[in-house]
Amino acid sequence: MLLAACSSGDGGTGGGGGGEGASRPFTIGLSNGFVGSEWRTQMVDGVEAAFAEYKNESVVDELVVESADTDVNGQIQQIRNLINRDVDAIIVNPNSETALDAVFREASQQGIEVFAIDQAVTSQDVTNVVIDQAEWARISAEWLAGQVGRGGDIVVVNGIAGHPANEMRWEAAQKVFTDAGVNVLSVADGNWDQATGQQVMTNLLATYPDVDGVWTQDGMAQGVFRAVQAAGRLDQIKISGEARVGFMRLWNEARADGFESIGVVNPPGGAVSALHMAVNVLDGRQFASGRMNGNTVHVPIPYTVDESNFEEHWGRVSGENDAYSLDGSLTRDEAAAFFQ
Amino acid sequence: MRGLFPGVRLPGVQLSGAATVAMLVVAVVVNSALQPNFWSGYALTSNFATFVPLVAIAVGQTVVVLSGGIDLSLGAQVTLASVVAVRIVDGQLDRLPQAVAAALGVGLVCGALNGLVVALVRLQPIVATFATSFVFSGLALVVLPTPGGSVPLEVTTAYRAAVLGVPVALLAILGLALLWWVLRRHRVLRHVYAVGGDPEAAYASLVPVARTRISAYVLGGLFAALAALAVLANTGSGDPFVGNELTLASVAAVVIGGTSLAGGRGGAGGSILGAIVLALVTNIVFFADVPTTYRQLVNGAVIILALALAGIPALQKRRPAA
Repeated sequence: MLLAACSSGDGGTGGGGGGEGASRPFTIGLSNGFVGSEWRTQMVDGVEAAFAEYKNESVVDELVVESADTDVNGQIQQIRNLINRDVDAIIVNPNSETALDAVFREASQQGIEVFAIDQAVTSQDVTNVVIDQAEWARISAEWLAGQVGRGGDIVVVNGIAGHPANEMRWEAAQKVFTDAGVNVLSVADGNWDQATGQQVMTNLLATYPDVDGVWTQDGMAQGVFRAVQAAGRLDQIKISGEARVGFMRLWNEARADGFESIGVVNPPGGAVSALHMAVNVLDGRQFASGRMNGNTVHVPIPYTVDESNFEEHWGRVSGENDAYSLDGSLTRDEAAAFFQ
Repeated sequence: MRGLFPGVRLPGVQLSGAATVAMLVVAVVVNSALQPNFWSGYALTSNFATFVPLVAIAVGQTVVVLSGGIDLSLGAQVTLASVVAVRIVDGQLDRLPQAVAAALGVGLVCGALNGLVVALVRLQPIVATFATSFVFSGLALVVLPTPGGSVPLEVTTAYRAAVLGVPVALLAILGLALLWWVLRRHRVLRHVYAVGGDPEAAYASLVPVARTRISAYVLGGLFAALAALAVLANTGSGDPFVGNELTLASVAAVVIGGTSLAGGRGGAGGSILGAIVLALVTNIVFFADVPTTYRQLVNGAVIILALALAGIPALQKRRPAA
């Protein structure tokens, strides 16, 4: 079997990508396995816009987008299709942390550079270009801990237990609360869904009517807000929010009554940052030492919306629809600074 | 048109082998015209690697459908068998035999449970197996709550390899066809055809109807287990949702392959080709540059067209009494 494996190594030359000899213009593939959210739509639109600029400069020629609701098998086929399209690099928002490893190996054996965004993967054939989820959680957790103070009682509405991003975020936030002497009374899952978040928060309020605050992740803050509002406790319960227009609209209305919150941006534009990095890598540049942690490159969190800059950000995005996420990405120069 | 609509009322649709082969030829020609490197080593190997799980589950579904039933839990069985196997193998090549045995065991038990519910408790197969699918997917989540586990590198590498230029995945498909060919000659499958075709007549001819139905579901489960092993070799890791979308595709492959949903007529040879046609359609839609938002729509429309084409030969052979 192993002998056979060796013989297949050179069997793929006909279908190979650019390999080490990739030269401009580059062909880029984008694989996205979930289309049910505005965030993913923003992600794809952002890449298309940034790609168009590169195309005008003849740095790239074609962007092949594979975007559909699919499972792991479907995403494997997406990536194989991209490999068969002779792309030079693949940017992927992976449906699984581990289950695409084997197909990533196929891509790498065909000389294709693979970049994972949003969700880091374990495969060493892939460069993860992601925000630091722990830092993302720490910022809002520290804000909330400051609001409720030492000895304060809070409840938590998390995303999906067991999901890698959820675990990284909660681990970091939990440490902040422990260190700050904040009591976490209960932790529940809101599935990163506004309606579920509202339901879960309503239940939590029924059990713990006297909490001082609630820490939640993005995609649920609007639901949590409505539950607290329905209970008439907005002036007593501090809520960590999200940098999305729907929540900011509620925040804006409640500001007159002294409501304060925080929204840490989780940028769909991470895909654009990854595109900039892909172009650098295809041009043959190496990541600067210290920029890589294992196979992961952390891109900075673009900014945080809080009371001090609310007016500025709200003025800019108030015309967008409720599901719009505040966004940001590295500029080309900022991305180039990640390389030697 | 007059021919099409009465056809819907037929107890089942059946396609002659010629129509399935014609569809396969058209799919291959169109795909290779759209994809310049269709015949290259990597493209062939990766295509066949994609086909195997669907081919295996389609063969299993064929056996169940031939017996006059249907198994909507086959995809969930693939999921359950794959997560159990990945938990056991856990990246260690020496534990592979135990993992394979456990996957087959899961298929056997799931199939037996379905068979008992359908043949002895006498629930409608479509409802009963839909219900058991939730039991199996739920169990899969308990066994492996989050994606993880790894398959030995030797297995994923071998699955993508080629022996004397022939992809291992193609050999796996030929192996499944051979398995079907052997089964087809066994008494159990002759009973399956008899029970699916006319249970009363089979009963009158001393065919053990209940036992045959149970055997059909067990065989379905065993093929689901083989599909699970192919899924693992393909992905290299476990995922508690991995197989669920295979169920409907397996039924479509059976119909495109010309097996009558009423039972008793058809065979897995057609289903294997049907499964390959289904997978090629996905490829074609991609390489035809259908915009990504329309791809699912076009994919579904093409499959409906294939199902409709599959029904035409049956109309010509329609018995007046039907």
